[in-house]
Amino acid sequence: MLRFLLRRSLGAVVILFLLSIVAFLLFFGMPRDPALLMCGKTCTPANLENLHHVLGLDKSIPEQYGIFLHNLVLGSDGFAQGPCPAPCFGYSYHTNEQVWGTLMDRLPITVSLTLGGAVCFLVIGLGTGLIAAWKRGTLVDKTFTAGAMVISSMQIYFLGPLALAVLVYQTHLFEKPAYHEFTADPATWFTGLIIPWVVLSTIFASQYTRMARSSMIEQLQEEHVRTARAKGMSRRYVFFRYAWRGSLIPIVTIFGIDLGSLLGGAIITEYTFGLPGLGRLAVESVFFSDLPLLLGVMLFSATMILLCNIVVDAAYAYIDPRVRLA
Amino acid sequence: MSRSGRRHLHAAASVLAAAALVLTGCSSGGSKTGGDDKEQRQNAERQKALIKFGDAAASKGPAAEVPGAKPGGTVSVPARDSYAHLDPAQIYVFNEMQVALLLHRGLTGYKATSDDGSKHEIVGDLATDSGTTSDGGKTWKFTLKDGITFQDGSAITSKDIRHSVERLFAPFINQGPPYLQQWLADTPGTDYRKLLPDGPFKGKHLPDTILQTPDEKTVVFKFKKPHPDLPYALAMPGYAVVSQKGDTKEKYDKAPVTTGPYKIQSFRSGKSMVLVKNTNWDPATDPIRHRYVDRFNITFNQQYEDSTKALIADTGADRTAVSWQNSVDAGNLSKVLNDPGMKSRTVIGYQPYVGQMNINLSHKAMQDKKVREAIAYALPTSAFQRAYGGSAAMETPGGIISPTVSGYDPSFDPWGKKKNPGGDPAKAKKLLQEAGKVGMKLTFGYINSQEGQAYSTAMAAGLKKAGFDVQRQEVPAETYYDQVSKLDNNFDIFNTNWGADWPSASTVIPPCFDGRAIADGAQNYSQVNDPKVNSEIDRINRVTDPAEAAAEWGKLGEYLVKDVINVVPTGYFKQTQIAGSRIGGLVYDDVIGGVDPRRLYVK
Repeated sequence: MLRFLLRRSLGAVVILFLLSIVAFLLFFGMPRDPALLMCGKTCTPANLENLHHVLGLDKSIPEQYGIFLHNLVLGSDGFAQGPCPAPCFGYSYHTNEQVWGTLMDRLPITVSLTLGGAVCFLVIGLGTGLIAAWKRGTLVDKTFTAGAMVISSMQIYFLGPLALAVLVYQTHLFEKPAYHEFTADPATWFTGLIIPWVVLSTIFASQYTRMARSSMIEQLQEEHVRTARAKGMSRRYVFFRYAWRGSLIPIVTIFGIDLGSLLGGAIITEYTFGLPGLGRLAVESVFFSDLPLLLGVMLFSATMILLCNIVVDAAYAYIDPRVRLA
Repeated sequence: MSRSGRRHLHAAASVLAAAALVLTGCSSGGSKTGGDDKEQRQNAERQKALIKFGDAAASKGPAAEVPGAKPGGTVSVPARDSYAHLDPAQIYVFNEMQVALLLHRGLTGYKATSDDGSKHEIVGDLATDSGTTSDGGKTWKFTLKDGITFQDGSAITSKDIRHSVERLFAPFINQGPPYLQQWLADTPGTDYRKLLPDGPFKGKHLPDTILQTPDEKTVVFKFKKPHPDLPYALAMPGYAVVSQKGDTKEKYDKAPVTTGPYKIQSFRSGKSMVLVKNTNWDPATDPIRHRYVDRFNITFNQQYEDSTKALIADTGADRTAVSWQNSVDAGNLSKVLNDPGMKSRTVIGYQPYVGQMNINLSHKAMQDKKVREAIAYALPTSAFQRAYGGSAAMETPGGIISPTVSGYDPSFDPWGKKKNPGGDPAKAKKLLQEAGKVGMKLTFGYINSQEGQAYSTAMAAGLKKAGFDVQRQEVPAETYYDQVSKLDNNFDIFNTNWGADWPSASTVIPPCFDGRAIADGAQNYSQVNDPKVNSEIDRINRVTDPAEAAAEWGKLGEYLVKDVINVVPTGYFKQTQIAGSRIGGLVYDDVIGGVDPRRLYVK
């Protein structure tokens, strides 16, 4: 297992390395000069040149990339804004703040949104999927299946404002979504995020409903399950002890991908509810041609996705002993 | 200045629906709470009257009490955009200028002389008066008040003022207003930096022939040419004082040493800011500001639609919330304006911005005056108004000088837009026929924003009716101003927005229409280089009587629109803002161009 994890981690590092090169090259393909963006209304050619020098943009792209990697691994004291310990993505062109600090500042919002949303969509999605599989062919099954189909065709930018209009502005049942730090006040943290969680989970839950249902039905038709029933084991026991475990593999796979993507930033959800998480930061970095921030968000998000995938792969071994043997 | 601020960022700002930049002097004849259109115009009429320079008596603190105000409470402020800059010298955009009113103080400032925010005078803020000049504006003397301090309790001296002025020349100061630097260096454009290339940070200082600080209290500016507008310029937050002792250069932009009634308790860029009372601020020295509220909680990333809905709902913490930057969104505008219950917590006013369709005079086809006249007649400015939310958000313009600026003439309407904002395609077609240009290609560059999409489609249709073969070209919002300010851009027509930095057209016509300032990235977007305009700019700049100068700028503005026809005005911007029911002191301040945060209190 250790060897497996080591191999996957090394693979992830290679992917991140390649991704950083692509991001670097793409940035320089953009039609905007970040130095000009910073130079302001009173810009002179001399100032612009100076800014190019300060930002390191007067160096060749490979040289800049080399500096970026060096700073990322070893940190740097060469910034006018102050020291930048590793992992150093540099200072944002737009806000002059350390990128790593900004990422860490925004991370709790994204983590809160992701974990709360994930709990909701797992509970709702798996719950309805299992019930639908249990009650296969009944009205309950059809209702859940059709409901999942309808909801999966909706979008957060539609459901979000609708939920706000009905639950917050008209009926005043909930307070306006906002992020409050968990450590400061867990209750307001919970109430402030409940609508984003529910909306996020509504969209995601539908695919888990369908996935859980079809996977469970497939498992229930497996020979070992049927054998267990033939041996006289109760339907409930077989359902949860045999079929449930077998149906988890595809669900865990998709959950790993979803979790990683959400930890990288749920852009539309964050925009809809005014939550300043990593998704919003990603948009801002593109908006302001902010290379350090752009690279920081991109690599951080990619790391989250890769980490989640490694965890999922490791989870396979736990869920299915055949994977371990292989 | 451009509507969206730092020139290279305005595209960015305007994408998100125009992060308006108002400069200190950008008055905005605001109606008071929820007035009608006639009332707004009356306010604008009042505002375009000159703002006078107050004497020592007018400059004494404390500010007159706001009727009914009481201290205490916390006010929530939903805001769309975070503050990119807090160093006064870097502040030049609307939302930063608004919060700067609570944080920073300068030599002069605008004092409201009426409780409805419509009348003002320039008074001494840190100085004992609005400045004295004995030679028509070449030499200005200011004396600092007693008892003025930074938030750490240290006294503000003339050394701090010298330091604040000299650091404007440092390379890292690149976002603020350029006026004072240009006047001191006696050079237009950006060459002023040569005067003190490193600012005061490498031991060099401005010579006594330019800036004198003979003692702890006295500051003397010496210009080669008269600058009677200096007290207006110094009232901009961009020229507020910076602590010499506390100057951390680049880092100051995130943690400035404040001098106003509030200080920054916390600032998390893109998330939130908390302002608390600055206990070392002495109201007895401040004729401009109040400090009723204990604490302001500013939350960023709140879109206009969301903040509007929350404030309309008026529940919980939103009862003590107020929009500073955020306007009522276009979708909720009629609901807010037509609800009698909202009237007491709604304010409306003009913004200083004027939309203008530039006609690119560097293109040969556009050098035919009949073609330009045809464009001017055909252009349906009503499309611009509709795109921004109708008559409550935009007014049909006549000239390039807005109702909030001295020199505005409400009767000026050379192309008949006020009577017929939909344009006159028949008249335009006749002109094109006379020019033998029916069917000529007209490349229309438009910003790829929601508004740009809307108005460009309707405007193109209007121009087509007149006989133009209109080719719309979409320009990404992020790079819009970069692209239209390139000299070799291929657009025949394109819209830009500009607002005055103070209520004088001296901050509109020279930056936008001086032919000698044509350059890549400059604001002379139409690339007009008219000898009469250039010579008139020089002549009027030498006029020391503000009233006479205002009249002359007005005439020059009319000459540009009617005779040169390098721009067709497309709209005077207006704004509606709302607050929760427990907010008191709600006033739309003409000078700020929005809600005045200094007068607010919790009921």
